[in-house]
Amino acid sequence: MADVQLKKVGKTYESASATTIDGLDLHIRSGEFVVLVGPSGCGKSTTLRMIAGLEEVSSGEIWIGERRVDELDPRERDIAMVFQNYALYPHMTVAQNMSFGLRLAKVDKAEIRRKVEEAAKLLEISTLLNRRPKQLSGGQRQRVAMGRAMVRDPAVFLFDEPLSNLDAKLRGQMRTEIRRLHKRLKATTVYVTHDQVEAMTLADRVVVLNNGKIEQQGTPQELYERPATRFVAGFIGSPSMNFLPAQVALDGGTLVLRLNNATLPSPADRRDALLPYVGKTVEVGLRPEHFLAGDGEPDLSVPVEMAELLGPTTLVHFTLAGVPCAAMLAPQHAHPEGSQQPLRIAHDRMSLFDPDTGGAI
Amino acid sequence: MRTTRIRRTALTLLIILLIIACFLAPYAWVVASSLKNQFTVFGDVTPLSWRAFVPVGATIENYVSLFERTNILRALLNTAIVATGQVVFTLLLCSMAAYALTRIKFPGANVVFMLILLTFLLPIEAMMVPLYQVVSGLGLSNTLVGIMIPWIASPFGLFLLKQAFEELPAELEDAARIDGAGHVRIFFSIVLPNVKVPMVTLGLITFLFCWNSFLWPLVIVQDPARQIIQVAIAQQGSPTQLPNWGETFAGATVATVPLILLFLILQKYFTQGMATSGIKG
Repeated sequence: MADVQLKKVGKTYESASATTIDGLDLHIRSGEFVVLVGPSGCGKSTTLRMIAGLEEVSSGEIWIGERRVDELDPRERDIAMVFQNYALYPHMTVAQNMSFGLRLAKVDKAEIRRKVEEAAKLLEISTLLNRRPKQLSGGQRQRVAMGRAMVRDPAVFLFDEPLSNLDAKLRGQMRTEIRRLHKRLKATTVYVTHDQVEAMTLADRVVVLNNGKIEQQGTPQELYERPATRFVAGFIGSPSMNFLPAQVALDGGTLVLRLNNATLPSPADRRDALLPYVGKTVEVGLRPEHFLAGDGEPDLSVPVEMAELLGPTTLVHFTLAGVPCAAMLAPQHAHPEGSQQPLRIAHDRMSLFDPDTGGAI
Repeated sequence: MRTTRIRRTALTLLIILLIIACFLAPYAWVVASSLKNQFTVFGDVTPLSWRAFVPVGATIENYVSLFERTNILRALLNTAIVATGQVVFTLLLCSMAAYALTRIKFPGANVVFMLILLTFLLPIEAMMVPLYQVVSGLGLSNTLVGIMIPWIASPFGLFLLKQAFEELPAELEDAARIDGAGHVRIFFSIVLPNVKVPMVTLGLITFLFCWNSFLWPLVIVQDPARQIIQVAIAQQGSPTQLPNWGETFAGATVATVPLILLFLILQKYFTQGMATSGIKG
C-alpha cells in the first residue's frame, strides 16, 4: 500500500479535439478507495493511464509512495490495472493469464502456484483455472482480470471502467465483490467510471472531473448533499437534480425565494450568502426526494404528466416554471396522471447556484 | 413441391460437379499423362476422349527416368530451402513492419503504408531487370539467397498483417506492459500468438508463391545444381531435343505433391485467414 500523489499534472495533445488535463492536484491516501468520475472525455481515463504509465505526463509529477514515478515504465511503478475490456490474453489459460506477470518477474514456480490458487479461491474461480478466456462469461472474465491484478500484490490497484461491459444485475454483484475485496486487501485503489451509482457505492472519496479539471472531491454524501457546482449537482444522483429559476426577494424583511407561484423561505444557513442576490434570479436545485407530499400545507400544486411506480417509491413527472421535473414520492401519496399533485419543498435541503458561474451559493 | 425441391438439389449438384470437373480436369490430365508413354500422351487428346484422363496400361517409366536421369531431388531440396527461408523471413519482416506501422504513431505513417501498397501495382516483369542488377550487385546471383531475397518484403504480407494487428485490442499490450513485459516480449508472447491465423495464411501463400515461381529463378540462377523445381522441370530436356512430355508431366505431378500435403495440413488456417481478411484467393 502507498499514497498516490498527482502534483500539477498536465496532459496536452497535439490534436486540439483531444482532452487536455490542466494542473491536476490530487492526493490519494494509502488504502483509500478513490473513484474518478465524470462524463465521457473529461480526462478521467487519461489520468488513470498517466498513473499507470501508459500515457506520458506533459507536465507535473506523479508520486507513488516515496518514489517519483512519472518517468518510470509501468512495470517499475508497482501497480496493477483492471481494464474495461478485461484485456485477458486470449491464447493463455486463466492460470497463465494470472501468472504472466509473476513469471516475467521470475518468481519461484511454487510461489506462483500458491498465489494464483489463493487469488482464485478468493474470487471463486478455482474451477476455471484451465479454461481460456473465450470459454468464460463476462463476470468470470472480470474476476480473472481482478485475479491477475491481485496476485502481483501491487502498491496501487487501478480500475478503468471495469464493470461497463456487464449487465445491470452482474454489475451490482461485482460492485459488492470489489468493495468486499477492498475491505479485505486494504489496497490503495483508483477507480474510473462514468457511472455515478458506482462512484457513490464504492468510493471512500469521489473526485468529479470535468474538462480535465477537478470540479469537486469529497465523500459520496458530501457530493450528494453539498455539491460545489451545478455540474456536480447534475451529475451526481439518479434521477438527477431538478434545476429551477427562482427570484430572490425581501418579503417584509424576510429573505424569500419566489419559485413560480410559490414563495419559499430561504435556507437558514445560506441567508447571508443570498443577500447580494436580492432582486436577481438564482437557480434552485431540488433532488426528486426534496419534493414532499402528504401531511402539511403544500407549497405548490402541479399537474401530474406521468407517474412511474418503482416499487418502494413513485416517480411523478411534471413541468414547473417551464422546466420538466421529477418528484420521488411514497406511492400512497402520489396522485394519478392528469390530476393535480400538491407538493411541499424541503427548503432547508435545496441547493442554490449562481446562474452565471454555476457555483453553489 | 417435394419433386421440385429434389430437381433443384439435383441441378445444384450437377452444376457443382461440372465446376469441380473443370478445375480437376487439367490435374487429372497431367497425372494421367505422367503414367503414359511419350507416344500416347497427345494421341488421346486429339480427338479428346476419356482415355486422356485415364492412363490405360499405366507405366511408371516416366517417374523412374525422371529420378534417374535428372536432378529433380536436388531441385526439390533447393525449392524447399528457398520456400522455407522465404516464409520465415517474410513472416518476420512483414509482422514487425506491420506492427510498427499499426502501433507506432509517426507523421506520414499512412503515406509510407500507401507507398508500400503501391508497389503491388508493379508487375514482376517490369521489375526484373533492376532487380537483377541489384541482386547481382550484391553478389547473390546464382545463389538460393538470391532467389528469395527480393520477395521477403512483401507488400501483400504487410497489408494482411496490418489488418490483423489493427483488430487486436491495444489493451492487451497495455496489460502486458503493466505485467512487466518489454516491447520484444509483448510482440512475441502476446501479439504474434493472437494473429496465428493470418500468419499461417501468409506463410502458406508465400510458400505457394515461392514453390511455383519460375521467371525470377530462371533469370537469377544459371547453375542447374542450384535451380528450383519449376525451372528444373522446364529445363530437363536438352534445348536441341524435343521435350519428353511424359517426364515433364511426372515432374509436374511430383512438384504438386508437397503443396497438396501442406494445404491439407493447414487448410483450416488458410480458409479462416481468407475469410477473416476479406481477401479472395
